[in-house]
This record gives sequence, C-alpha cells and structure tokens, in this order.
Amino acid sequence: MKKSKFSVSADGLLRQNIVLMSGLVTAPVIVAATSVERAAVLVVSFFLISYTSILLCRFIPRKIVYTVRILLYAVVAAVMYIPTALCIAKLFPNVSSGVMLYVELLVVNSFLLAKTETRFYLKPYGEMVLDAFIYVIGYAVVAFLVGVLREVLAYGTVCGFHLCEPVVPAAKSPFFGFILVGIMAAVCRGISGKRAPRKERGV
Amino acid sequence: MNEIFAKIVSLTMLSVFMQNAIFDRAFGANVAIYASRKESHVIGFTFGITAMTTLASAVSYFFDKLVMPLTNGNLYMPLIYVGIIGVLYIAGLLILWKFFHKLFRKVKQYASLAVFNCTVIGALFLNSNYGSDLASYIGYGFGTGIGFFLACFMLNIAHERLDSEKIPRIFRGYPIMLIYIGIVSLAFNVLVGYTADF
Repeated sequence: MKKSKFSVSADGLLRQNIVLMSGLVTAPVIVAATSVERAAVLVVSFFLISYTSILLCRFIPRKIVYTVRILLYAVVAAVMYIPTALCIAKLFPNVSSGVMLYVELLVVNSFLLAKTETRFYLKPYGEMVLDAFIYVIGYAVVAFLVGVLREVLAYGTVCGFHLCEPVVPAAKSPFFGFILVGIMAAVCRGISGKRAPRKERGV
Repeated sequence: MNEIFAKIVSLTMLSVFMQNAIFDRAFGANVAIYASRKESHVIGFTFGITAMTTLASAVSYFFDKLVMPLTNGNLYMPLIYVGIIGVLYIAGLLILWKFFHKLFRKVKQYASLAVFNCTVIGALFLNSNYGSDLASYIGYGFGTGIGFFLACFMLNIAHERLDSEKIPRIFRGYPIMLIYIGIVSLAFNVLVGYTADF
C-alpha cells in the first residue's frame, strides 16, 4: 500500500520570508507599518485577501493559459477585498486612508501572483494550506516587529501606551522603513546562513 | 490647450519627483530591484509600466467619475482597476502577438510582472485622490512610469558597486538595495522639502 507523504517546511518563517528574504510583499511593511495598530491592519488584510485568494484560486483549472489565469487570481483577490475592507472598518474604525491604500494594493501582490505558480500549486491541497499559512505567519512576525520598533522610535509608545519620549521621529518615514527592512533582511540572511536563490529575489 | 498641457506637465513632475512611486511610496520596489539588474530590463519594464499607467489612468478617469460617487463605491475600485488593467494587458499581448511576433516572444514572460504590480494599480488609486480631470489623470499616470524609470536607472547604475566584494556578504543583493533606496528616498524628501503623511 502506498503511504501518502505529508511534509511541511517552515521556509516561510525565515529562509523564504516574503518580506525579508524574497521581497515579494515589501511596500506595505516599508511604508505603512509605522505602529502596532497599522501592522495589525496589514496582517489581517493580508490574511483575508492573499491567503483566502490562494485557497480559492487553487480551483481555477491549470489548463487555462497563464496569461488569463494570473488575471483571474487578481480578480479573486479584488473580490476578496470587499469583505476585507468592511471587516477592517469594523475592527479598526480609526484606520487612515494611507494604510488602506496599501490594503488595496494587496490585490496584485507577488505572493499571490508568483508564489502560487512556483510553490503552492505544486503541492497537495492540505499541504499547501499549511505551507501558505506559515508564509502568512512569517509576514505577520515581520510586520509586527517593524510596527513595534517604529512606534517606539517615532512616537515613544507601544500599542498606544506611552513608554518614552520619541527618539527618532523620522522613523515613521518611508526612507526609514527601507533602511530598517534592509538591515532586518541582512540579519535574517545571517541567521538563515545563506543567500536566497537568485530567481526567488525580486519576483 | 496650453492649460491642458501645463496640467499634464505639472502632474507628471509631481509624480516623478515629489511622489516618486518607488522612493516615496515603495510601489513595486521589488519589481524595480529586479528590473534594475539589466539595462534591457530597465528599458523594457519602463516602457511596459509607462504605457500601462498612462492608458489605464485615462480609462480609469471615466470609471472614477461613474463609480466613486456611489455609496461604498470605493469598495469596488480594486475590482474595476484590475478589470481595466486586465483588458489592456490582454489587448496589448494580442497586438504584439498579431503584429510583432518576435517582440511578443521576448516580452511574454515578463509582461505579467510589468503589468500586475503595485506601481500600475497604485497609480490608479492615487489618481483618484490627485486627479481632477482627464489631463491630470494622464499626467499623473505618465509621470508614475517616468518616476519608475528614474528609480530603476538609479538602481541600475549602483547595482554593480552594491554587489561587489566590498559589501559584507549578508548585505549583498536585496538588503543593500533596500538600504540604498532608503538613502535615495531620504535625499528626495530633502530635495523637495516634502514628507508624505501616512
């Protein structure tokens, strides 16, 4: 009798982290994750839009040409945006339009449009569900880490609670986000002990 | 006529320098890093993205006027923008396939990356904030593509040095590129004396 193999790797957490290693979904974290609340908005919306779209798009037949299939992935994500935006409005009533712009951009993120073709849809469904979820956790960890660091540095607070005087008010700026994520990416690379494969980066 | 031209130029300048897609908003930063590795990619991606942002901006103007005033109209905008980009993407590929077969074979593997990215759709969302008429939509869309070129060009000329042995191993490649973009982004902010309020 043939045994079914069910293997799950933790690649999405560190070795292939989509923010720090492969750079698939960087813009929201770099620009919009300036506080814990904003990071939470990004994580919830990323889960609702990207993760659920990956699960749903698996049912799109592979015989449809890639040119059309990728368009259908984006359409599914854009449909998922509607309940996500309503949910975000309920959970985070004070969220600014600046953050919502980055939630809207998630409908065309490379995690959904590229990673599905090169990794997730090559696996059995159950394995894919868990694997994609690990990638989402990897994204969440980085988003919250960046959010906490920038909130402390820029506002001197954590989750809105006063901690100290603002040390680096510019920490909320996009340029600081680039530099911080760049340094974190290098640290992540040092910890994981190797560079990401060339084709993975920047796709 | 002069007024329309002035509007297009001013919105183009705004989106190239003051609100550069990469340096100010990080829209498609990963695509810019990827495209900047080869000069031919810089030109190809710039052409694809500029054509798409300009055309899609012009089309989106009419849909914005139609849908945005509706209650919860903004909820449907991502779907509408994906539809606009999708139709232009397929139409563009069909034209290339029919009339420029050699070019089609060259660009087809990169076309999706040049079209379905944050730079293109981000330009449409920002247009709904900054654009007031068709001329300003076209100007902002065109400027976003030119801003992408500027960013790609600046990354391309630094690429070789940033990938050298002088850079510590763990920083080489993607991390140092992000840090470099951050420094240029800071320079842009200082240059225009402007900070985006997020």
